[in-house]
Formats: sequence, structure tokens, C-alpha cells
Amino acid sequence: MWSAEEFEQRLRRVGEERYHDKHPFNLRMHDGTLTREELQTWVLNRYYYQTRIPVKDGLILSKALDPAFRREWVHRLHDHDGQEPGEGGLEQWLDLALAVGLERAEVVALRGVLPGVRAACDDYVRFVESNDLLASVAASLTEMFAGDIMRRRIAAFEKHYPWVLTEGLRYFQNRTRQAPRDAAFGLRFVLEHANSADDQARCVAALERKCEILWRLLDAVEAAGRHLRLSRHAELRTDRVADQTLVVLPERAVRLNPSGREILDMCDGGRSAGEIARALRSRHPEIEQVESDVHHFLEQMERVGVLEVAP
Amino acid sequence: MAELTYRCPLRCAYCSNPLNFRDVPESLDAAAWGQVFNEGAELGCVHVGLTGGEPSVRRDLPEIVAAAAKAGLYPLLVTAGTPLDREGLARLRDVGLRSVQLSLQDVDSATAESIAGVRVLEAKLAFAAWVHELDLPLILNVVLHRHNLARVPEFIALARTLAASRLELANTQYHGWALRNRAALLPSRAQLEEAAKVVTAARKVSPAPELVFVLPDYWADRPKPCMGGWASKTIVVTPSGVVLPCHAAAELPGLSFWRADERGLRACWTDAPGMRAFRGETWMPEPCRSCPERGRDFGGCRCQAFALLGDPAATDPACAKAPRHDVVLAARAAAEAESVARVVLRGAPTN
Repeated sequence: MWSAEEFEQRLRRVGEERYHDKHPFNLRMHDGTLTREELQTWVLNRYYYQTRIPVKDGLILSKALDPAFRREWVHRLHDHDGQEPGEGGLEQWLDLALAVGLERAEVVALRGVLPGVRAACDDYVRFVESNDLLASVAASLTEMFAGDIMRRRIAAFEKHYPWVLTEGLRYFQNRTRQAPRDAAFGLRFVLEHANSADDQARCVAALERKCEILWRLLDAVEAAGRHLRLSRHAELRTDRVADQTLVVLPERAVRLNPSGREILDMCDGGRSAGEIARALRSRHPEIEQVESDVHHFLEQMERVGVLEVAP
Repeated sequence: MAELTYRCPLRCAYCSNPLNFRDVPESLDAAAWGQVFNEGAELGCVHVGLTGGEPSVRRDLPEIVAAAAKAGLYPLLVTAGTPLDREGLARLRDVGLRSVQLSLQDVDSATAESIAGVRVLEAKLAFAAWVHELDLPLILNVVLHRHNLARVPEFIALARTLAASRLELANTQYHGWALRNRAALLPSRAQLEEAAKVVTAARKVSPAPELVFVLPDYWADRPKPCMGGWASKTIVVTPSGVVLPCHAAAELPGLSFWRADERGLRACWTDAPGMRAFRGETWMPEPCRSCPERGRDFGGCRCQAFALLGDPAATDPACAKAPRHDVVLAARAAAEAESVARVVLRGAPTN
């Protein structure tokens, strides 16, 4: 078993190595090189994460038997949901959405949420659901690293994205105060309650897992900004036997139905995945989840080599 | 799969060509292959693997590649990377070659030589670089056995370096010459499990080449769905024009297969008695006949049943349900012990 200092160091090292402040998308955000569309995609998708946070905190509360713990932890729900309608972190995130030019209703409806983002956030909730209090609190310790990223973000927005209205930054400003306070409590709890080498290892693993979830969220957001085109190794054929489109690749052939073909034909390298998904939503308003389906399809097609990122 | 020749400058200890490869004449010229390709496309074939032996020992390879492309097939060259030179490869690309699968014995020159019988690694690495320069997708294929399984991490690293689109980590199939070397090549379970762990971890690191790794049937308790079912998905044509359901089927006794240049590919594929012998499920003995998994593995490999039991219609002994699974268990037990068997190279090179 590690000493308390050593254990804390191990936890902090997880952040140094894996926290999403090092993700290429965040680096670009802070460098000021994101396009307006990319920033909007991030805000819209990250809102889904925000909506899962109180659910996650409710689950944690349901595992706690100590009134003192619950009194402290319930702050998080208040911070997030406010005491009155129109208050709290979730509401402030919607202010940010407005400030980057999104429509409130569109964000709240969660329709444009990328399947990869949804999966990552749902994984977080599931993790807390299926783990004990100690591991769940340990997973929340990414807050230890959050104060810093919020400050960098505010500076970056003011400097590089002047078109974002300053009222939109209130969420970040509040989090620079809340995150360190929350993290200090969480860390104290974890240090006190991890009473064996196994507990400590589980806490480190939980924190790693959480970092991985945040990372995957940004992977998905980044992928939506990618410009895809038909792989230069692919050949399009009409399958003589089944009369469908066949994409022939080295050692593989992928059969497409007419919807797949329609999406593929839009992958000209000039449009981002997000743009393609939105275009198809306006073309097929009758299909529910069409954007999500398109993203899912594009991901799959890239994975099997039908599509590649345009240079 | 178009087996253009059985000649090959290498003598790999796990060579899967027929043992009587010297007696097989190369009966089809480029025009005859072109006819086979046209008929294959008519049947619904999409890809054609140009293989062997070493296909690039054939001087008319450019004509053959051109014929495959003209037939509307997507040609893949399955090569050892020698003796084809850069100009030759560029020419193949210009006439329609679409991708290259390069075999690799090992990442270390001396151990590669001990398996292939000739010094090959340097030439292969140079070849891989040409493939990349010529913008052809590169598939690396490494045949795994107890002497190179520990280097799976290096194979993966090399695949990344060479920008391979796919790395096939193919455990040795114990047919033909490989069966003679089984005691020297069959790995232990611990070796396989370690390699499987490495592959799983590597798949999470992007960008990764597509990694193919399948537990060998000797250790899997279930047979492989060999060729996707007998005479079901893949057509093999030998250098002499004989149409087979798999590259090893010619060795099975009592089966007659026909020549594409004599009867046409469709008839050879559909009607040859050898093709019909094990197609579908009617041939199956118990326990396959009533097995719920028969639609998944098709009763396994007929060639393996013949090689290990002398009966091509027996249940593949790789299956834990097979009456003669004991022969595979015995081979496993031997592999768990320290192997003292020496690798025996296939007969002299034939370029």
C-alpha cells in the first residue's frame, strides 16, 4: 500500500499523463485555431456531458451512508441545477451555447449529439452506477485538473474568439472556483477511505477510466470536423448479383444500400462530417436521429477503409 | 485465388503448397488466365489474389495483372517481395494492380533466414518501401509459430513504420510441409495468450493498422470456418488450371476436380464431383450433423481431417467435440513441453 503522499502523487500523475487538456482538440481550442463550426460542435456536444453530471452525482449520493458526505456532495446538484429555474451550471452552459451562436432549443433537444459523445458520457454514468462510492468519487477527481483548464479557456476565448459574447463565459468563471473546492473534498475522501493496496489501485484505475472517457468525447467531436472522401484505394461497382453499390477495397468489399450511397456521394472532401449530417437532416426531416445515424455510418466507413481524411 | 506458379525462391518451413509442387505444370498462359478471370467476374467474384508459389517469377505477370483488371476484378499480389524489382512493381501498378500482400518471416534477418532458407529480410523491407512510394495499399502477412510469437510487438511496430494498412498475424496452419514441422513450430498456450494480449492493447493505440489475429485452431477448441465453407466463397485455381475449393484440396484422395481451361470455371465450380463432395451439410457425420454451430464453422477443415486422421469426411479433430480430438490434445501436450525438434526447410528453392 502506498503512503497518502505517494497515493496522491499517483492520482495527480494520471492527470499529468491523461487529462484531456492534452487532447489535440483542446490544444487547438486554446491556440485559437478552432473554426466557429468546431467550437459550436463542441459546445453542443459537451452539453450532453453536462446533462449527465447531476445524474451521476445523484447516483453517488444514493451510495453514501454518511450525512456529512451527503451534505457536502449535494452542493454539486445545487451548483449544477441552481436553486431556482434559470440558475446553475447547466443553465450557464446554455448561455455559452447562445454566445457561440447556437439555438437553445436545438441544444436542449440533444438531437445533434454525436453517437461517440453519447456513448462516452453514458459510459461514465454506467461506471458510477456499477461501482462503489470510493471508485465513483475517485472518478470525479478529474476536477483536480479542471481549475487550470478553465482559466486557460477563459483567456483563450477572450483572446482568440472575440465573437463569443462574454456572458457566455460565466460557466467557466464559476468552475474556476467550484472545481478546486469540490476536488479538495473528493481527494480528502479518497485518501481517507482507500484502505488497501487494492482500493488505491481501483481509485487510480477509476481516474484513468474517467480521463479516457473525456478523451473519447473529444475524439468524437474532432471526428465531426473531419473532411472525408472516398478512399483512393476504393473502387465503386454495381454488384452484378445483388444490384447494389459495392465498394471494393483490398481484401474487403462493402455493400451499401441506397441511403449509404447517398451519404457516400456527399463525401467529396469539401464538407465536414458535421456539415454532411446537417445537410442530410434538412433533406430528410422525417427520419428521427438522422444526424446521429450519419455520424455512425461515417465512423464505420472510415474504420473499414471506405473513407479517408482528405488532405 | 489464382495460383500462378508453385515455383518460389524461398523454402519456408511452413510452406502450404502441395508436397508434390514440382510435378504441377504451369498450363495456363496469360490469355487462359484472362479467360478464367472473366468467368470469375461473371460468377460474382470481386477480388483476385495472384499468388503461388511466388507469382513474380512468372515473366508474363504484367499481362496476367492487366487481364485481371480488364475483367473488372480487384487484383491483389501475394508476394514474398522477391524477385520483383521496383520497375516491375511500378509496371504492375500501371497495368491495374490494386494492392500488395507481402509475407514476412521475422523482424530479425538471421531468424528470418532460418525459416525461409535464404536471406530475405533486407529485400522485403526495400520492397515494402516501394509499395508505399507507389501508393499501393500494403498488407503484411506474418506466419506465426513458436520461434517468432514473442516478437509480435516488433511486427506491429514494423507494420506502423511501413504504413501497412493491415497486418495479418496468421498462426501456422499445419498442412503440407508445415505438418512435418509441427513439433518444431506449434507454440505453447502461454505464448499465444501473451501475443493475444499484445494485439488487444495495440488495437487501442491509433492510428493502428488493421490487426488480424486469430487463435490457431489447435488451441481454440473449435475448428476454423475453413474457406468460409467448402466450395462456398472462395475459388482456387492451381497453376495447372485445376479448380479447387482450397489450396490444399488436391491432396485429398478420391475427389475429382476439373480444369478451368477444359470445362469452363462455372462448371468446375458448380458441378465438379470434388466441389460437391463437402458443399453444404449433407456430408456431415455426427457430431457435426446435429451441432448448433455447424452453420458457423461448417465442420471445420477437410484437409486437416485427412492429414491427421486419414479421412477427409471426419469431424475436424481441432473441435473439442470431435471423437478424435485426442490427436490435437496430444500435439498440444507436446507443445507445452520444451521443443527439441529442429525446423526442416522445404525442399530446394525453385526459381
